[in-house]
Amino acid sequence: MVSKTEETQLNSLENQVDNGGGGAWEYLCLVRKLKVRRSDKVFKYGLSILNDPKKRSALGPEEWTLYEQVAIAALDCQCLDVTKDCIKVLQKKFPESKRVGRLNGMLLEAKGSWAEAEKAYSSLLEDNSLDQVIHKRRVAMAKAQGNISEAIELLNKYLEIFMADHDAWRELADIYVSLQMYKQAAFCYEELILSQPTVPLYHLAYADVLYTLGGLENLQTAKKYYASTIDLTGGKNTRAPFGICLCTSAIAQVSKGRNREDKESPELQSLAATALEKDYKQRAADKLGLLTSALRSMKF
Amino acid sequence: MAEDLVLDTAIRDWVLIPLSVVMVLIGILRYFVSKLMLSSQVPDPKIVKEGQVIVRARNLRAAANFIPPKSFRSRRVYFSNEENGLLFVPKGQAQNAQAQMFSDPNMAMDMMKKNLSMIIPQTLTFAWVNFFFSGFVAAKIPFPLTQRFRSMLQNGIDLSSVDVSYVSSRSWYFLNLFGLRGLFSLILGEENATDDTQRMMQMSGFGFGPSKSLGAEKDGLDIVQHEWALPKFEHRAEAVLKKLIR
Repeated sequence: MVSKTEETQLNSLENQVDNGGGGAWEYLCLVRKLKVRRSDKVFKYGLSILNDPKKRSALGPEEWTLYEQVAIAALDCQCLDVTKDCIKVLQKKFPESKRVGRLNGMLLEAKGSWAEAEKAYSSLLEDNSLDQVIHKRRVAMAKAQGNISEAIELLNKYLEIFMADHDAWRELADIYVSLQMYKQAAFCYEELILSQPTVPLYHLAYADVLYTLGGLENLQTAKKYYASTIDLTGGKNTRAPFGICLCTSAIAQVSKGRNREDKESPELQSLAATALEKDYKQRAADKLGLLTSALRSMKF
Repeated sequence: MAEDLVLDTAIRDWVLIPLSVVMVLIGILRYFVSKLMLSSQVPDPKIVKEGQVIVRARNLRAAANFIPPKSFRSRRVYFSNEENGLLFVPKGQAQNAQAQMFSDPNMAMDMMKKNLSMIIPQTLTFAWVNFFFSGFVAAKIPFPLTQRFRSMLQNGIDLSSVDVSYVSSRSWYFLNLFGLRGLFSLILGEENATDDTQRMMQMSGFGFGPSKSLGAEKDGLDIVQHEWALPKFEHRAEAVLKKLIR
C-alpha cells in the first residue's frame, strides 16, 4: 500500500510532468518503485524519452529497465506494435533472459492467444518453478478467460507455497466475494488482517463479509470490526458508521425475543448516526433528507 | 608511566592512510569479483515454503489479538498439530537438515565460494600488514586501557614499558576491517559482499536454519494467549466519534 507522503509526492510529480516541467524520469522511477498503474502516462513519457537518442543515452544501464516498463505500459494501452519493438530491442541485448521471455508471454496474452502464452509460461516455469510473477500471470490469464474456478485452483496452489504474499490473499478474497463464497472470503480477509493489522481497509472488508454472512455472532463481530475501522481511520471513513447502524438494527431484529442488553457500547449507534449526519451536512447537504429518513427507519 | 610519546607524522602519512586506502580498494575489488562470480542459484522449493510458513506463523503470533478467537484457534491447530501441522518437525528430520546442507553439492560449493572470497583477502592483507608494518608504534588510542590488551594490540612492539594506549598497525588493520563497513555501504550501495562481520554472524547460526526456527515458531505459537482486542475497539470508536461530533 502506498503511504500518504508517497502519494502526494507522486501526484505533485505527475502535475509537474503534465504541465510541461521536467522530471519525467523521476516520475517513471517513482511509479516503478511504488508499483502503481499509470500506464497511459508511463507510455507517453517513457516513449518520448526512448525516442530521443540523447536522453536515452543519458540513462545508461537504466535504459533497459525503461524499455521493460514502457513495454508493459504499452500492453496496458493496447499499443502492441510498440511492445513488439521494445521486446525486440531487449531480446537483442539480453538473448537468453527470463525477463524478456516473460514479456513475450505477456504480449501473447494481450493478443489473446491464450494457448501459446500458456506454453510460454510453462516452459519458463520449468527452468525456475519458483518464479512468483509467472505464477501470478497464469492466474491472471485464467481470470481473463473467465475460467474463475481454475483461477481459484491456481491461486490456492500458489498460496500453498508462498503463503506470506498478501497481495495474493487479497486477490483470492476478491474472487471469493465475487462468487459469493463468503466463508472462504472471510478466511482470506483474516489472513490479511493478520499480516497487516493496521490497515483499516481489511477490517472494513472483513466486517462487510461478516455482515453479509449473517447470524447473531457474525453480526456482533462485524459490529466490532466496523468500530475498529472507525478507530483506525479516526472517524473519517463513511461506510463504517453506516455499517454500525445496520449491524445494531440487524442485531436488534435477530435477538428480538431474547432481550439481550448491549452492555458494551450502548451509545455507539446514536453516535454513529450523529457523526453521519454531521458528515453529510458538511459534504452533501442535499442528501441529508435521505439520510435522516433512512436512519429513522433503521432505529425504530 | 604516562609519558607522552611523540609520534612521527611520517607514520600517519605512510602507514595509517595507505593502509586504509588499500583496504577500501580491496573491498571494492572483492565486490566486483563477487558480482562476477554470482551464480544464479535455483532456490529449493522446500526452503522457500518453510521461509514463508515462518513469516505467516510470525504474523499470526504478532496480530493474534485482531482476529476472532475461533479463527485463531483453528489456525493454531493448523500450524502445530501433530500429524500434518505445518510447523511440526519430527525429531529425526531436525538433525538431517545440517547433514543435508553439507552433502548437497551446490550449496556446499556456494558456501565454499563465499568463505573463500572472505578469507583469502583477509589473510593476505593481514600477512602484508604484518610483514611491512610491524615493529613500531603506529597510533595512540585516545582512552586508557588495561594491561590485558597489551598482547593483542601491541604485538610487534617488544618493549613492555610502553603504555598500552600505543598500538601497533595490526590493531589499525582490525579497526579498519570492522569500521569500513559503513563506508562501503555508502559507496557500493546497500548490498555488498564486503559485509564480513554480518556474514560471520550468519555462518554460526546457519547450520540448522530452517527446522530450528520452525520449532521455535511452534513453541512461540503454543505459548500465545489469545486476548481478543476488538471489544476494546468499540469503546475507542465511541470516543473517536464523540470527539468528532463535538
